[in-house]
Amino acid sequence: MMRVALRNLWQHKLRTSLTILAVLLGVAMISGTYVLTDQLRSGFEDIYQSAYKNIDVVVAPKPAFGESFEAGMETLPDSLVAKVEAVEGVTTVNPSLSALGVLVIDGEALQTMGSPTLFFNAAPTELDSVTYYAGSKPDQSGEIAVNRDAAEANDLSVGDEVAVGTQNGAVPVRISGLFDFGSEGASLGGSILVVGTTEDLRDWFDLQGVVSAIEVKGEGTDADALAARIRAAIDYPQATVKTGAVSAAEQTQAVGDALDSVLTPALLAFGGVAVLVGAFIIFNTFSITVAQRQREFAMLRTLGATRRQVLGTVVAEALVIGVGASVAGLFAGLGVAMGMNSLFKAVGADIPVGGLEMAPRTIIIGLAVGIGITLVSALVPAIRATRVPPVAALQEGAALPPSALSRYVPYFGGLLAALGIGLLVLGLLSQGSVTDRLLQMAIGGVLIFFAVATVAKYVVRPVARVLGWPVDRVDGSAGRLARENSMRNPARTAATAAALMIGLAVVVFVAVFTAGFKSSFVDAVDEMAKGDLIVRTQSGGMMTALPESAGEAIRRVPTVESVSGIAFQQVQVEGGATGAIIGIEPSDMKRQWEYRWLDGGSDALLDELGSDTAVVEEQFALDHKLAVGDTVSVLARSGKTADFQIVGKYRDPNLFAGLTVSTAGWDRLFAQRDAVFYLLSVEPGASVTATQKGVAAAMGSYPQAIVETKAEYIDSIVKQLNQFLYMLYALLAVSVIISLFGIVNTLILTVYERTREIGMLRAIGASRSQIRRMIRYESVITAIMGGVLGIVLGTAFAYIVTTQLGAQGISFTVPPVQLVICLIVAIVVGVLAAVLPARRAAKTDILAAIHYE
Amino acid sequence: MSDSSTTHQTRTGDEPAAPDPLDTDSVVVTRSLTKIYGSGDAAVKALRGVDVAIGRGQLTAIMGPSGSGKSTLMHIMAGLDRPTHGTVTVDGIEITGLKERDLTQLRRDKIGFIFQSFNLLPMLNAQENIVLPLTISGTPVDKSWFERLIGIVRLEDRLSHKPSELSGGQQQRVAVARSLVGRPAVLFADEPTGNLDSRRGEEVLQLLRQSVDEFGQTIIMVTHDAHAASISDRVLFLKDGMIVHDHGSMASDDIYDVIRSLEGVCPADANGDGDARSLAAVLCAPETAAAEVVGAAAGGSDGDGPGRAER
Ligand SMILES: Nc1ncnc2c1ncn2[C@@H]1O[C@H](COP(=O)(O)OP(=O)(O)OP(=O)(O)O)[C@@H](O)[C@H]1O
Ligand SMILES: [Mg+2]
Repeated sequence: MMRVALRNLWQHKLRTSLTILAVLLGVAMISGTYVLTDQLRSGFEDIYQSAYKNIDVVVAPKPAFGESFEAGMETLPDSLVAKVEAVEGVTTVNPSLSALGVLVIDGEALQTMGSPTLFFNAAPTELDSVTYYAGSKPDQSGEIAVNRDAAEANDLSVGDEVAVGTQNGAVPVRISGLFDFGSEGASLGGSILVVGTTEDLRDWFDLQGVVSAIEVKGEGTDADALAARIRAAIDYPQATVKTGAVSAAEQTQAVGDALDSVLTPALLAFGGVAVLVGAFIIFNTFSITVAQRQREFAMLRTLGATRRQVLGTVVAEALVIGVGASVAGLFAGLGVAMGMNSLFKAVGADIPVGGLEMAPRTIIIGLAVGIGITLVSALVPAIRATRVPPVAALQEGAALPPSALSRYVPYFGGLLAALGIGLLVLGLLSQGSVTDRLLQMAIGGVLIFFAVATVAKYVVRPVARVLGWPVDRVDGSAGRLARENSMRNPARTAATAAALMIGLAVVVFVAVFTAGFKSSFVDAVDEMAKGDLIVRTQSGGMMTALPESAGEAIRRVPTVESVSGIAFQQVQVEGGATGAIIGIEPSDMKRQWEYRWLDGGSDALLDELGSDTAVVEEQFALDHKLAVGDTVSVLARSGKTADFQIVGKYRDPNLFAGLTVSTAGWDRLFAQRDAVFYLLSVEPGASVTATQKGVAAAMGSYPQAIVETKAEYIDSIVKQLNQFLYMLYALLAVSVIISLFGIVNTLILTVYERTREIGMLRAIGASRSQIRRMIRYESVITAIMGGVLGIVLGTAFAYIVTTQLGAQGISFTVPPVQLVICLIVAIVVGVLAAVLPARRAAKTDILAAIHYE
Repeated sequence: MSDSSTTHQTRTGDEPAAPDPLDTDSVVVTRSLTKIYGSGDAAVKALRGVDVAIGRGQLTAIMGPSGSGKSTLMHIMAGLDRPTHGTVTVDGIEITGLKERDLTQLRRDKIGFIFQSFNLLPMLNAQENIVLPLTISGTPVDKSWFERLIGIVRLEDRLSHKPSELSGGQQQRVAVARSLVGRPAVLFADEPTGNLDSRRGEEVLQLLRQSVDEFGQTIIMVTHDAHAASISDRVLFLKDGMIVHDHGSMASDDIYDVIRSLEGVCPADANGDGDARSLAAVLCAPETAAAEVVGAAAGGSDGDGPGRAER
C-alpha cells in the first residue's frame, strides 16, 4: 500500500509539493521560534558568563521585590567595600559602579533602538570582563572605552572626541580604548557599553558613597566558602552574596524565564495559526483527492482490498507528506529564526543572540506537530475513502453514501461556536493568570474558527451568488461560470476559504484591536494634555529618565509658562502585585493635565495631596481592590515603605495608570525624582515653535531628551505602534501565504477534475483567456469569501475583547482603511493563487473533451 | 454569428462535390491530408492523404473500422488538431495555418460540436446550456431562432432543469440544440448516438436530419451505426487512413455489407450485381489495390442513388 501511496504522490508532484509546503511553513515557524529563543537565551548566557568569568564572588543589592536583573539601579553603601576587603582569602575587590546613560557623537545622542547604553567603571585587570583590542582602559578622568559593536557601528576609534549624556548633563570625553565583550560572534544586540574611571562614574551618575555591587577575586578555588565568609563578615541583609557562577546562572535563568513567559508563547501563537491553516489545507486536499479517486478505491475493493488497506493507502500518503514537511520545516526553521531576528531588529528590538542551534526539544516538537497535524487532518478524508463501496467502480459519478453523522454537522458547528465563545468570554473575565486566560481565549478562538468552517458550507451558495454578481455583470460568460463553479461544491469552497479566513481574521483582530488602542490613546492625550509641549526621553522608559536639573533648565526658558515633571516607578502594593506609582507636583500638574475625575472628584483633590495622600486610577484601584478612603501601603525596591490614604479616583488607562502622589509623598519612597515626562505650556502670545526651539537648546546637556509638540508626540507614539503592528503583520503573512497555497491546490485539483468540461468549453468557442478568467474569478470569489468571513470574524473577536477590556483603555474602533486593505489582500491572494491553475486550465487539450473514455 | 446567412442557402443537390477548395458549395475541403502520430518505428499513419469536399447543406457520415482514422479526420477538419501535411478549408477559410486566437474565433463563428458523452455543464440548466456558445462569444440570443430550436428538440417544458434532472436522450437533445444555436457553417458530431439506446438514438438522428432538411445545416457525423449512416446524404468509408468508398445516400444493408468487407469479412456472394456489393468484393482484394479502389469507389458513387443490395 505504501508503494501505491508513493506512486500517487510522485505522479502529482505539484499538488504534493504544495501540500508539503502548507505544513512545512507552520512547522518552520514553530521550530524557528524555539531556535530563536534558544539563540537569545544562549546570547544572554554568553553575556552573563563573560561578565562573571573572572569574578569569584559578587555582593549585590537585594531589591525589596522583583528579580534583580529587572531592578533599577539599586546601590549598596560604600562602607561595605572595606569589610569585604578585610575578609580572609580576598585578593582583589572592585567596587563596581553601573548606570544607564547616553553616548553622544557630534552632538547627537546615539539611538540604541530600545537597548540600553550601559556605563560601568573600569575594573582591576584581575576582575575585568572585557578585553581591549585597541588602545587601553580609561585611567584618567575624561576617558572612556566602548565595545566593538558600538565602535564599528559608529566609526569610532581611539582618540576620538565624543560626549556622554549623564545624570548631570553632557560631558565631553575622549576614547582611550575599544574592547570586546563576550565570546566571538556573540551579539550584544544593539547595546552600547561604555567604560569610564570610577571617579567619573561617581560624578556623572551621582554615585557618591555607594556602589552598585562589589566584585571579588579570591585565593584558592572554593568560591562557595569565600562567599559564606563574606556573607558573615558584612552581615548586611539588603545584600546578596553569591559566587560569580551562581549569579551568571541565575541571571541567565531569569532571562530564560522571561523569554518563556512572553516571547516564546507569543511567537508560538503565530506558528500555531500557520499550523492551523495548514491543517485546513491538508484536510481539504485529501478530501478532494479521495473524492476524485473513488473509482480507484472501489477498484481496489473489488480486487479484494479491505477497508483497512484502503485506509492504509491514504494514511500512508499523509505520513509521507507529514514526515517530509516536518523534516524540511525544521531546516526552514533555522531560516525563520534568522528572519524573525531581523524582523525584531527592523522594528527596533535588537536583542543579543548566540549562534544557531537546533536543540533536541526543537526537533521533537517540530516532528510531532508536523506529522501529527497531517495525520489528524487526513484522518476524516481517509475514513471517508474506506466507505467507497466496491460497486462504485462500475458506476460513473457514484456519490459517496452520506455519513450517518453528516446531518448533525450544523448542530455540531453550533456547539463548537457556543463552546468557543464561552471560552473566549471566560478567558476575558476570569481572574486567573494571564497565560491561562490567553490560552482559554486562544482555544476559544480556534473553536470558533472550526465552528465557522463547519457551517460555512451552508452560506457558500448565497455568498457566492452575491460575490459573483459583479463578475457576472462585468465579464459575462467567464464570470457567470466562475460564480456557478464556486457554488458547485460548497464544502470544498468553504474549506478553502476557511484557510484564508483564519489568517485574515487574526490580522483583522490585531488591526481592530490596535486601532482601538491607538484611538483611545490619541484621544486621551488630545483631551487631557492641556500644555503645548512634551519633553520625554528617547527610550520613553524609566531607564534614562531626566533628572530634576533638566526641569530647572526647562523652567529657565523665558517663554515657558509652567512645567510639570512626572516621575514613574514600580512599587509593590500591599505586599502583593506590583503597580506603577506616579509622582507629580500638584499645582503644576493642574495646569497641564485635565484629569477625568470619577465619583464626584475634582481638581481640588490635587490641592489636598500631601505627603500621605494619593489619588488613584480606576483600573489600579480595581486591580488592587482599593476604594476612596482606603489606605494603601506600598514598598519601593530600595526597601522603603509608605502608606497613602486614597482621596480620589480618576480614569486614565493609557498614560497615568497607577497611584498618583505628590512630590512630598514621592520623596518618602525614592531618593531621586527623575522625570520621564515634562509637560509644559507656553506663555500666552509666545510662539510655540520658538519655545520648542528654546527648550530643545536648553536640553543640550540632556541628549536623551526629545522635545515635541502634543501633535508630534501623538505622532511618534502612533508610529511606534504601527511598527509593532507591521511586525505582527509580517508574522501573520506566513499564514496568509499558506492559505494561498491551499487555494492553488484546490484549483489545480478542480481543473484536473473538470478537464472534459473545460475542453468542451474550448470546443464550443471559449478562448484561452476566457478559461483563465473563469478560473481566476472562481479563485477570487473563494478568496473574497475567506476575506469577508475573516474580516467579520476578526472584527467580532476584537469587539468582544475590546468591550470587555474597555476600562483598560481600549475602545472598539473599526479601522476602515485597514479592513479595505484586508479585502484587497484577499483579492490579490485570489488572483495570485489562480495564476498557475488558470494557465493549466487554458492549456487543456480540447480533444480531451471529445475523447470518450 | 457574423455569417449565419451562409447557412440559409438551399441545398444544391445530393451529389457529393469534387474536392475543390474553391467550390462554394463545399463547406469543408481537405487537400491531401496526412496525419502521422509519433515518429520512427512507433509512427502511426492515422491519415494517408485524404482529399474530400463536404457539400453544404448535406449530412455526411464517416464510417470505417476502429482505428481507421475517422476521429482523427474529424478533429483535423474541425481545427481541433493539426495535420502533418495537407490543408483544410472551412467555409472558405484555410484553417491549417491559423493561430490559436483565430481558431477560437472560427469555432465561435463557424463550427458546432455534438459529443458522444453529452458534455453539458452540470451547474447550468438546460436553457443556459443551450445558449452557452452565445454567452461565451457574447452574442445576443436570437429569440425566434431559440424558440424554434427548442420546439424542434421538444424541450419547452424542461428549460429550467439541470442536466442531472434530464434523461440521457433529453441531455443529448440539449446538446444538439446547443450545437445549433449559433447556426454554425458546419456541425461535427462524433458518434452522437453512441451513448443512447436505439430509441433515444433515433430521436437524435431525426433531429439532425430535420436540421439539414429545414435549415440547410451542414453536418459531418462519425458513426459506427449503419442505421445512422443510412439517413445521411453521403457516406464516406475510411480504412487505414484513406477514403476507400464515397457514396451517396445508402440503405443500411448496403452499408452493413461495406463495413463487413472493410473489416475483412467478404460477403459470401462476392459476385452480386449491386454497386455496393461489387464494391465490397473489390475491397476484399489485397491492400496493394487500395489506390485503384478509391478511384473505383469515387466512380461508383457517381451513379444516381445507391445500388440495390441483394438480400
Ligand atoms: N494521440 C494519438 N497518438 C498516437 N496515435 C493515435 C493518437 N490518436 C489516434 N491515434 C492512432 O491513429 C489511428 C486512428 O485513430 P482514430 O481515433 O482516428 O480512429 P477511429 O477511426 O476514430 O477509431 P474508433 O472507431 O475506434 O473511434 C489509430 O491507429 C490510433 O491508434
Ligand atoms: Mg473515433
